[in-house]
Amino acid sequence: MAEAQTKAQPSPKQYVQIAVLLAILTAVEVALYYIEQAGVSGRIVYPTLIILAILKFIIVVAFYMHIRYEKGIIARFFTVGFFGALMLYTVVLGTFGVLTAMSG
Amino acid sequence: MASAASPTSTIFRRPKQTSGWMSWITTVDHKKIGIMYGYSAFFFFILGGLEALILRLQLAGPDGTVLDAAEYNAMFTMHGTTMVFLFVMPVGAAFFNYLLPLMIGARDVAFPRMNALSFWIFIFGGIFLYSSFLFGTTGPPSGGNLPGGATDASWLGSTINGGWFMYQPNAGPRFSTGTVLDYGAIGLQILGLASLISAVNFIATILNMRAKGMKLLRMPVFIWMTLVVAFLLLFSLPIIAVALFMVTFDRQLGTLFFDTFQGGDAILWQHLFWLFGHPEVYILILPAMGIVSETLPVFSRKPLFGYPAVVFAGAAIGFLGFGVWAHHMFSSGITPVAQAAFGLATMTIAVPTGIKIFNWLGTMWMGKIKFTTPMLFSLGFVALFVIGGLSGVTHSIVPADWQQTDTYYIVAHFHYVLFGGAIFGIFAGLYYWFPKLTGRMMSEKLGKLHFWLMFIGMNLTFGPMHWLGLQGMVRRTWKYPAEYNFGTWNMVVTVGAFIIASSILIFMVNWTKSKRRGVEAGMDPWDARTIEWSIPNPTPEWNFGVSPDVQSLDDWWHRKYDEDEDGRPVRRPDADSTIAQFHDQGVNPPAPIHLPTPSYFPFFAGASFLAVGYGVIYHTRGWGLPLLIFGVILLLSSLIGWSLEPLEEEHEEVHA
Amino acid sequence: MSDVAHEEHVHESTGVETRKLAMWVFLSSEFMFFGALITNYLLFKGRVGYTAPYPAEIFDIPFTSVSSFVLLMSSLTMVLADHAIHRDDQRSTRTWLIATALLGMVFLAGQAFEFTTFVVDEGMKISTNPAASAFFTLTGFHGTHVLVGVIMLLTLIGISFRKGRLSTATGLNLENVALYWHFVDIIWIVIFTVVYLIK
Repeated sequence: MAEAQTKAQPSPKQYVQIAVLLAILTAVEVALYYIEQAGVSGRIVYPTLIILAILKFIIVVAFYMHIRYEKGIIARFFTVGFFGALMLYTVVLGTFGVLTAMSG
Repeated sequence: MASAASPTSTIFRRPKQTSGWMSWITTVDHKKIGIMYGYSAFFFFILGGLEALILRLQLAGPDGTVLDAAEYNAMFTMHGTTMVFLFVMPVGAAFFNYLLPLMIGARDVAFPRMNALSFWIFIFGGIFLYSSFLFGTTGPPSGGNLPGGATDASWLGSTINGGWFMYQPNAGPRFSTGTVLDYGAIGLQILGLASLISAVNFIATILNMRAKGMKLLRMPVFIWMTLVVAFLLLFSLPIIAVALFMVTFDRQLGTLFFDTFQGGDAILWQHLFWLFGHPEVYILILPAMGIVSETLPVFSRKPLFGYPAVVFAGAAIGFLGFGVWAHHMFSSGITPVAQAAFGLATMTIAVPTGIKIFNWLGTMWMGKIKFTTPMLFSLGFVALFVIGGLSGVTHSIVPADWQQTDTYYIVAHFHYVLFGGAIFGIFAGLYYWFPKLTGRMMSEKLGKLHFWLMFIGMNLTFGPMHWLGLQGMVRRTWKYPAEYNFGTWNMVVTVGAFIIASSILIFMVNWTKSKRRGVEAGMDPWDARTIEWSIPNPTPEWNFGVSPDVQSLDDWWHRKYDEDEDGRPVRRPDADSTIAQFHDQGVNPPAPIHLPTPSYFPFFAGASFLAVGYGVIYHTRGWGLPLLIFGVILLLSSLIGWSLEPLEEEHEEVHA
Repeated sequence: MSDVAHEEHVHESTGVETRKLAMWVFLSSEFMFFGALITNYLLFKGRVGYTAPYPAEIFDIPFTSVSSFVLLMSSLTMVLADHAIHRDDQRSTRTWLIATALLGMVFLAGQAFEFTTFVVDEGMKISTNPAASAFFTLTGFHGTHVLVGVIMLLTLIGISFRKGRLSTATGLNLENVALYWHFVDIIWIVIFTVVYLIK
């Protein structure tokens, strides 16, 4: 098997540290939900929530799925799939006027 | 045949048969799977063709009486569904299966058992769809009734009847109360799964299984088009899967996705369907484009003009194919901005298509063209596809499209693209690679007769539809009154359809006779360019006696020919001895070769989908739920057995 | 892409192991699948005026937060199993696999409890309104993916007990199951934010 991994993968200790970070980010997300409940505008809370989700997403893909340590071809597949889906469905929701309704 | 390693388990011993029906059921050989794909697809082609002939009998004159309205709905739906999902897609899979490993110099595809699984899921999906003729029911819409107050249509009308696009809410539970559209939604779901699995398999094969020296830009254009098709399948099938699940849930579980009375959305279905449906039309046409990109250079005795441009144009068509879906929806009330944007995007897609056409013309320009049957079909493809492509561009002009929508003009357009395009390309490929399959040549005399009859019949059938459509003859309508004056041209269309049918009969005679008594092909009968011709005909079980070492694009050609200073090919003095040498090492491999071992599990995993499908439809009956559970258990146990199967036997030695 | 073609690896022209490559190819298509389901929910959640209740009115955020945390931690145990098998540490591999399967089952049990609460206590069935249809379909398909993952994990655990060890050469290999498992986790990260936390 051609493993061909150039960079050393994290150690178990580092994996646990990453998990702690993910748990903290999740706690922040839930806290933000209650902050919004308490009356802070969604215009501030929602973008923050989305950024946090993207952060968690990237951390899992990069470290747990080892995409950082793989050949570039894999990252390319993944980005094409992700951004392809994002673009197509954004257009679909756009034609329904859902996006304008949400941002307004 | 002896296995090098002893099996670790007696329960999971792998099957050994190399001939007889068992060898076909358990085979994982890409060539056998390709042949099975081909024959079953052709069988469905005959069924779809018969349905078309019945439609044309009904429409031959005004006020036709062959079919009633319900039967007409069922016939045009089954004709479209069959031709798209059960003929053109699987025949593409047949070509991919047979040729992909041969053209990249591989022993087999990356996952031979998964390949067999794709085939068996497709077969059982097709059986499931067609079993709706026997078991399906067509109820009246809730609160309404069928024509004449009938409660169910005749057997001919009791099959899938919502159009191949199954527009909602017409195909939902409120307006189609019988079971036939459950057969439609679940059947297409099963067929989609088969294609998704093969797409993953082909992508992995093309990227990872190439022979030494077979760089991406040395691959034949046909392989490039296979790769683009696989990506289109990969990204479009999940969308239709979701859409079909939604229909199934609407009909089985009472969800409200498309129930416009309770907040559901009919336009959402159109988006999801065409997000899949437009890439799907490129899935249908790109294999044919790949085929003629192989045949035109061979019979013009020139390299393909602008190879990188053809490759990148193909990729661009695939990419743009995802950005034009809403041009199927110009009359559905989407916003003017969306109409303008999708109209422009649709015009853009003509650019890479035009690039391909000009490259094909450039290939033939100044070539020493040999008018063999496969070349005639390739020329027919180019000519007819141009007509279909141009009428396609007219749809991108939104006001014109409003006029054309749901008329026979659209029917004419997509038959020029799919019949004149895809099917002519497919026949070019069948004639061209027939020696590879059988070691014999097809009769040129019958082949040319087939071509000319089909070419004339095709234009008689679909040409007049252009003006019938522009005169206002609408699609999917079972009859028309005499005073519309559509009768004459419709008669011409029907005569044309029967000419096509007769040409197909000639093809079948030719195929059967040539298979047994055709002229022996020998090595390299077409003096071809690509490496699948560097091995004996018919293909040996092990494909290549020695793994190829690819030096250039059109590797096989360059082993036979040099160029003079004007770029004209000059046959190398050692060409004949090269061919003889390749023949010898193809027939007698110098070293033992490992081949994948057959397996029972793909067949059973595929068969389980029949039980799952019927189980879902009839889950409210006493036996439905147990059947469903049985199907799921059969599927799971097949897959677990699959993963426990001794892999040591995966590679078995053949002592040739 | 031709720059990655390694001439010496006849069977792995890209240099990526073929089964792993296939798994990534498959996962990239799953974005389209879940993308469509999320789109459905976003489209329908704003359509009010039909039969109540709507999903957003009855979400139990503390409960779902715990579920999300459980699934997140199962990714940790999964990656530890993956790490262990690469060092051929069969015992730890088995332990972490069992932990992952258990966490996965806890998540599924949580989802079953959530669905039951919604249907029985709150009266929101899959056929109540389109938003409910979209919610149950989206989270139901995610749950089905978790279930498939649990079945694959249990099969691996079974092989590990029966043969005493797991090999990377079996058709069902741990590395691909791990990739699948993490993918199901990142889809939940998106669902948790887009469906549950943002109104």
